Amino acid sequence: MKLLSLARRWETVLAAVLAIVLGTAAWLDPAFMALSTQLELSTHAVELLIVALPMTFVILSGGIDLSVGSSLALAAVIFGLSYEAGAPVWAASVLGVLTGSLCGIVNGAFIAGARVHPLIVTLATLAAYRGLAEGISLGRPISGFPDRFLAIGEGSVGGVPYSLLIAVAAVLAFALTSTRTVFGRRVYAIGSNEIAARYAGVPIARMKLWLYGIAGTVAGLAGIIHVARRNTAKADVLPQVELDVITAVVLGGTSIFGGRGSVVGTVLGVLVIHEVREFVGWRWQRDELILVVVGSILIVSVLAHNLVARRAR
Amino acid sequence: MKILTQVLITAIMATVMAFTATAVATGAVEPSPSKRITICLLPKKKGLPYFTTCSKGAQQAADELGDVELIYDGPTDGSPEKAASMVDRWALRGVDVIAVSPNDPEVLGQAMKKAREKGIRVITWDADAAPATREFMVNQATAREIGHALVDAMAKDLGSDQPEGKVAIITATLTAANQNEWIKYMKERLEKYPKLTLIATKPSNEDQRLAFQIAQDLMKAHPDLKGIFGISSVAFPGAAEAVKQAGNSGKVLVTGLATPNDMKAYVKDGTVKSVVLWNTVDLGYLTVHAAHALATGTLKPGQTSFTAGRLGERKIEGDQILLGQILVFTKDNIDQFDF
Repeated sequence: MKLLSLARRWETVLAAVLAIVLGTAAWLDPAFMALSTQLELSTHAVELLIVALPMTFVILSGGIDLSVGSSLALAAVIFGLSYEAGAPVWAASVLGVLTGSLCGIVNGAFIAGARVHPLIVTLATLAAYRGLAEGISLGRPISGFPDRFLAIGEGSVGGVPYSLLIAVAAVLAFALTSTRTVFGRRVYAIGSNEIAARYAGVPIARMKLWLYGIAGTVAGLAGIIHVARRNTAKADVLPQVELDVITAVVLGGTSIFGGRGSVVGTVLGVLVIHEVREFVGWRWQRDELILVVVGSILIVSVLAHNLVARRAR
Repeated sequence: MKILTQVLITAIMATVMAFTATAVATGAVEPSPSKRITICLLPKKKGLPYFTTCSKGAQQAADELGDVELIYDGPTDGSPEKAASMVDRWALRGVDVIAVSPNDPEVLGQAMKKAREKGIRVITWDADAAPATREFMVNQATAREIGHALVDAMAKDLGSDQPEGKVAIITATLTAANQNEWIKYMKERLEKYPKLTLIATKPSNEDQRLAFQIAQDLMKAHPDLKGIFGISSVAFPGAAEAVKQAGNSGKVLVTGLATPNDMKAYVKDGTVKSVVLWNTVDLGYLTVHAAHALATGTLKPGQTSFTAGRLGERKIEGDQILLGQILVFTKDNIDQFDF
C-alpha cells in the first residue's frame, strides 16, 4: 500500500524517467557518466536550476513570472557596466543582484498593489527589462573581468564547481522553506485558494511582493553567475530562458494553476531536461535533435502525469 | 491494478526513450577504434546556406583524407551559449581538433581556452577570436581584400571612374568583429572615390526583415541614395528585396556578401550587379585540411605555407591561413556556381 502511494507521486515517476535517461546514457556511452564529466557539465544547468526554484514558489502561489530571463540580462548588463566604470568587482556583483531584486519588486508592486494579472505584468516587463538592457549597453558585449571573479563560474573545489555548490545551497534553502516554514505553507495556501487564505489571515499583498522580489533577486544572482561562467555581460544572454525555467517547473509536477507541486519535483525536472540535452548533444552532435527529444519527453511526461493524477483522484 | 498502470507508464516511457535512441542511432558517429582523427567543425549558426556549403567542402576533405571523423554541429538558433556548451562537451569527449567560427569571440574564447587546457587543438575559421584562444585561423580573405573588393564592385557597378552619390552600409551587428574590420577597409577604399559619400552604417542584427525595413527607411530618408552595401548573408538579400519591391531596381544598386544561390534572382532582374564572396566550399575544405595537418604535426607555428589537397599550396601569414581568392559573381558567371 505504501509502495502504491509512493508510485502515485509524480516525483517518483520523474525519478524513474531520470534513471532511464541516465541508464541509457551509461549503456550507450559510459564516458558521459564519468563523475568528472558530469560535474563539469553540471555548470551548464546552474542558472536554469536556481531560477527554477523561486519560479516554483511563484507558480505554487498561482502566479507566473515571464520576466526572469530579462531581469537576469539586465542584472548582467548593470554588473558589466558598473565594473567597466570602475566599481570593485564585488560591489558591481551586489549592484547586479540588487538590480534583479528591483526588477522583481516592480513586478510584485504591479501584481500585488495594482492587482494586474501576473501574466500581463511580467509579459510587459519581459520586453521592458530586456529592452532596457539592450538600450543602456547598446547591445555591446562587456568582458575582461578579473580571474578571481571568473572563478565563481569556472572554479572548483575538489572537482566540484563553485557554481554547483551555490545551486545546491539554494536548493536546500528553498526546499526547507517550502516544507518547514510558515512562509512556505502560505505560498501553498495562496495558490490553493486565495480568498480562503485571505480570510485565514495570510497577508496576500506582502507575500506576493516577497515572491516576485525573490524571483528577481535570484534571477540577478543567476545573471552574475552566468557572466562569471562565460566572461561576457551582454543584453542578449540566455534568450528565452524563462520558457526553459517554466518548462522545468511544470515538468517537475507543479500545477500551473498553483497550490500543488514541490521543490524536489522542480529539481528533478531540471535534471531530466539537463541530462537529456547534454547527452543528446554529447552523443549525436545534432543541435536540432535536442529540441525534438526534450519535446517528446515533455509530451510523454505530461500525458503520464495526467494518467497518474486521474488515478490518484 | 494501479501498480499495473504505473508499470505500464514506466514501460511506455522506456520504450519511447529506447525508440528515440535507436531512431537517431542510425546516424550516430561511432567512436573509432583505430587512429582516426576527430575534427569538430562549429559554424556560427547551423542551417544557414553559407555554413551548409562550408560543411560540404569539409566533408569532401574528410573523405579524401580518409582517416578523419568529421563532426559538424552548431546552434540552430545561433546562440553563443549553446555553441560554447558544444565546445565544452567536445573537449570533455577528448576530440582531436575543434575548429570554431565564433558567433561571440568572448563567450567562445572562454570555452576554447578551457578546451586547450585539456590538450585539445583549437583553430578558428571564418571568424576569429583572441589569438591566445587558438593556434591558427583559417581566413577566407583578409579584411582588406574584402573591404576593397566591396567598394570597387560598387564603383564599377555605378559605371564610371569617378562615381558620385550617397551610399549606405547595412551590417550584421555593431559588434560583429568581421564586419567591423571590413567596414574599416571599406572606408579606407572609399577615399579613392571622393564623390561617393557614406551616409550611414546600420545594424540588421542578422534579421532579414530588419534589413529589409532599414533599406526601406534609408531610401525614404535619402531619395537620392545610389547604393547599399549589405555586408552579411542576411543583410544583403533583405536590402535587395526592399529595393526591388520599391521599384528601384537599377536606380539604387545593392552589392555585398552572400552566397550566389541566395542572390541569383536579384542578379538576373538587375537589382544586384555584383555579389562578392569567397568559395565557401573551399573554405570548409581548407579548414579540415588545416585541422588534419595540425593534428598530424605537418602544420606548425612559423610555417609560411602548407599544402591543402586539391587547393595546393596556401599562404600562411603569421597565424592566419589564407584561402585568398575573392570571387565576384555577376550575371555572366553566377550560373556556374551552385552554393
